[in-house]
Amino acid sequence: MENIVLYTVILAPLLGAFTLPIFGRISPKLRDIAALLYVAAALVCAAVYVAFSLPYGFSFGFLADALAVFMAVAATSVAVFIVIYSWGYINGHEHQNEYYFMVVLFIGAMMGLVFSTNLILIYTFWEISALCCWRLIGFYREELTIVRANKAFIVTVLGALIMLVGFVGIYGEYGTFDMMEMKGKTLPLWIVVLILFGILSKSATFPLHSWLPDAGVAPSPVTSLLHAAVLVKIGVYAYARLFVITFDISKAFTVALPVIAAVSALVSAGAAMTAKDIKRVIAYSTISQLAFILLGLSCGTETGFVGGLLYILAHSVAKGGLFLCAGIVEHSLHTKDLDKMGGLWRRFPLTAVAFALCAFSVMGIPPFSGFFAKYLVIEGIIDAGHPIIGAVFIAGAVMTVMYLTRVFALVFLGKESGYHPEAREGSTVMIGSVMALGVIALILGILIFLPGGLVSAVTEVI
Amino acid sequence: MTGLFTSVAEFLSRPYMFIAFMIAVPALGGVLVWLLRRFGAARFIVSLIFALSNLFFAASVYYGGGVNTSAPFLRALQLSFITTEFSAMCLFAAAVLFLFVSAYSLSYFKAGHGGVFMLYYFISLAMVNGALASDNIGMMLFFWEGLLCTLFGILLIGNLNNPRTAIKALAISGTADLFMMLGIVATIQAAGTVSISEMSSLPVTKMGALGCVMMLLGALGKAGAMPFHSWIPNAASDAPTPFLAAFPGSFEKILGIYLITRIFTDMYDITPGSAISVFVSIVGAVTLFLGVGMALVQKDMKRLLSYHAISQVGYMILGIGTALPVGIVGGTYHMLNNILYKSGLFIVAGAIEKRTKTTDLHNFHGIGRKMPATTACFIIFGLSIAGLPGTNGFFSKELIFDAALETNIVFYILALVGAFMTAASFLKLGGAAFFGRLRTPDGIDENEIREVNAGMLTPMCALAVLCLAFGVYNTYPIDTLIGKSLKIEESFSGWPHSSTLVIISCAVLAAAVANHIYGTRHNGGALNAVDHIHYAPGLKQVYAVAEAGYLDPYRWFMGAVNVFSAACTWIERGVSWIYDKAVPGIVNGVGNALRQYSNGSLSRYLITALVGLLALIAIFIAAIR
Repeated sequence: MENIVLYTVILAPLLGAFTLPIFGRISPKLRDIAALLYVAAALVCAAVYVAFSLPYGFSFGFLADALAVFMAVAATSVAVFIVIYSWGYINGHEHQNEYYFMVVLFIGAMMGLVFSTNLILIYTFWEISALCCWRLIGFYREELTIVRANKAFIVTVLGALIMLVGFVGIYGEYGTFDMMEMKGKTLPLWIVVLILFGILSKSATFPLHSWLPDAGVAPSPVTSLLHAAVLVKIGVYAYARLFVITFDISKAFTVALPVIAAVSALVSAGAAMTAKDIKRVIAYSTISQLAFILLGLSCGTETGFVGGLLYILAHSVAKGGLFLCAGIVEHSLHTKDLDKMGGLWRRFPLTAVAFALCAFSVMGIPPFSGFFAKYLVIEGIIDAGHPIIGAVFIAGAVMTVMYLTRVFALVFLGKESGYHPEAREGSTVMIGSVMALGVIALILGILIFLPGGLVSAVTEVI
Repeated sequence: MTGLFTSVAEFLSRPYMFIAFMIAVPALGGVLVWLLRRFGAARFIVSLIFALSNLFFAASVYYGGGVNTSAPFLRALQLSFITTEFSAMCLFAAAVLFLFVSAYSLSYFKAGHGGVFMLYYFISLAMVNGALASDNIGMMLFFWEGLLCTLFGILLIGNLNNPRTAIKALAISGTADLFMMLGIVATIQAAGTVSISEMSSLPVTKMGALGCVMMLLGALGKAGAMPFHSWIPNAASDAPTPFLAAFPGSFEKILGIYLITRIFTDMYDITPGSAISVFVSIVGAVTLFLGVGMALVQKDMKRLLSYHAISQVGYMILGIGTALPVGIVGGTYHMLNNILYKSGLFIVAGAIEKRTKTTDLHNFHGIGRKMPATTACFIIFGLSIAGLPGTNGFFSKELIFDAALETNIVFYILALVGAFMTAASFLKLGGAAFFGRLRTPDGIDENEIREVNAGMLTPMCALAVLCLAFGVYNTYPIDTLIGKSLKIEESFSGWPHSSTLVIISCAVLAAAVANHIYGTRHNGGALNAVDHIHYAPGLKQVYAVAEAGYLDPYRWFMGAVNVFSAACTWIERGVSWIYDKAVPGIVNGVGNALRQYSNGSLSRYLITALVGLLALIAIFIAAIR
């Protein structure tokens, strides 16, 4: 029984994706619904583990443990809304069959990745996700989008290849790729450094982050799915899986990585303050927030680790929502230029509310879920005995408040710019999706014990 | 009655009951009032019921022996509420003020308006209750920062086209709250516990020093001390008067001073003369001096009062900052007095605004005889804030003067100059607005200037009565409310023990009166009574620079942030250049060079092959060796 659930989580989106182009030829509606069903099936099956406390199972290189289930729930719950949102956003564009194919295949790859216990399987799914990312960024087939897609592909694949050398190094040390057999083993420094290249490039950490702001040329649901909610979390997930749960690594990394993260958090927050493109601001914000996640996971304390995991969930929901809100505005205005926006709350009242809810969560203001995550991460680094790094991240958090307030004010408040007399609110499915994500960001905070319980289960195995 | 209070307090101490009745219920009240926003009477009654029930619970907590409850919530965040006598007193004070200000607000907003305001105000009450009663310091931060959302929301009401103040308030308060977050986690680390009740006299060293300073910064920011003050005068221009009475006037003062007092009296070991004590005293003295300096020259009633809200908090902080018992009692007593007269003054301003449709003192004059009750209340509040002997403000200020003098004469002198300017600015305000020949704003008939309705007048009068009572029967607030709750055994009630200080204070007040008489005659009218100070050589330039906003710390801070952002953007461009130009350039360059090298010449290939072979042999030999 457990194995059926486990296989469904992975195979429903992974194999189902291949049927979508065929369904698309029969009926676009059928394809749209099938895409949602595949992703929803993964969510439901992952949730079943939580709801019915199924014994976590293991089979053929796949393992459902608390961390995997947590990541699966976090990723698919946002993905469901993104697929629904896509119905409204992508409607009328060319290559829709490919779009849904790639989106669902990507979710499948993500599921495969989080449940894998074998390093080679992880690498394989890692590269499938990069391939989907490449196709989806270049979705509009314009010259600029293709250049940007290539950039994202080359940076992340290069990082992954270096990581693969690290994996081979692990094989050289211990004679296996199976993580179950290597629990608690110590990794040499050079292997850790090689693997970090893969992790940091995937999770867009300075200076390997440059592809992420440029990837904003993709359709907004893609940006939301790949560059906020799911893809960029692969790197930090791999960090948690490899260096916290499986292997022992040098204590030096509990300082080195927080320092790298601190630089990443500050530089990207600074860049977000001046960017003129709404999606670039949010993308820089993603880089900055990913640094908080990395800080929590890498600081070496349990509190920080719990905070880092909660941050993954809180950020996926809220940042996913922010990109989708930006998408609604951009879809209607046909521009991402902040200078041409202003006073849009009259035309986009619901989007403005959803944006504010999600922004409050990213800022870390109670009672939103982002507050608990940020608090625990900062407590984690202070517990680890590094108050100065904690202070730097507080500065990063201050800047988060400022740039998100700035972007909210520039888009929605103030006098109307007059550039877009015909602009109006997005379609019902789009509005419904962003409102749902905003409300979830709030509810997850008020009911923080729900994700908190799940995360506690993760820490028990350490 | 005590028996009832005790059993209610015991009831609230059961798991989840405090959170249900003092946090969830007020929030629910807000939702109901919002739903009933179009029904004037119904919303008033519902609001009153919820405010009274909250007052009843708060009174039960205070008189019934406090609450002590703990329930599991999240492993890292235990849900525990334990009140001390001091926090229970603050809960009670917040509940009293909420009752008055909410009644006033509902009368201020016509039916159909103010629904969102009341919703936010009720949620804010829930947050204040939570913050004051939280024993888990992380939970306290949750409620503390929760106020930020409501603050931002309230400031946006009616200002969606001009969100300047809301953004400024969010940026400033958000920064202070994040300092507080750092301070709280450092404090937890230093204390080894999350429970405030288990933190006692933590040493101010290393992690403790970080925790103490950062928490103090957070608390000073909430109280509105410099440099976290500068959004308040902007709010005076942009926000409705009930906001000023509710937030800068009462809630934020209660929370900020509550935490500063807890840090000084039980959480950390802060001795008089220690670095922390001196630092906080300096913040207090600077805040009171510069705040009142700006208040002196304002000619808009709301702006003038808002600068006084800043300067009065300076007195409180100076008093508590000395870490002397007399200063701590004086500062806390001043906080209680201030929420009474400052909220009262904002209500008076709102009443005048209701009738005159303006708060600019240039536009009207001498409306006192048309609004006698309002004028009487203003006089009581004005005399209290100026510190006329016998009023509550006098007694609390004397205690602060006493502490300031014992600490350093500079603090005392600054506080005295502050008292002079406070008195002078209220003489100016009163003289211009209420006394002299009647003049109404353009377009408003004399008959339209009359007393406001009972809904606004009642809270105003009640606050005035409380003000008088707190002065006449100062034993109750000083010894019973404060001294007992802070466990300070020495009694500071009754007439000040130092006659010299009282005489000096009286002399300062007399000087303010003399200055007012001189200014009125010399500068042509009460409104211009301090113009000779405002436009004195040297001061004129300083005021011009300050009025233009160049001394606003927010402006400097934003300037620094912009420079930092520009630097980050520059770094970011550099990194992008490496990805977009340098690496592709190198790859293409190498490719082109290789392509040009491969020109089909046989001899070139032969030489290349030979060089390669030699290199391989060299490597092979090196490897064998």
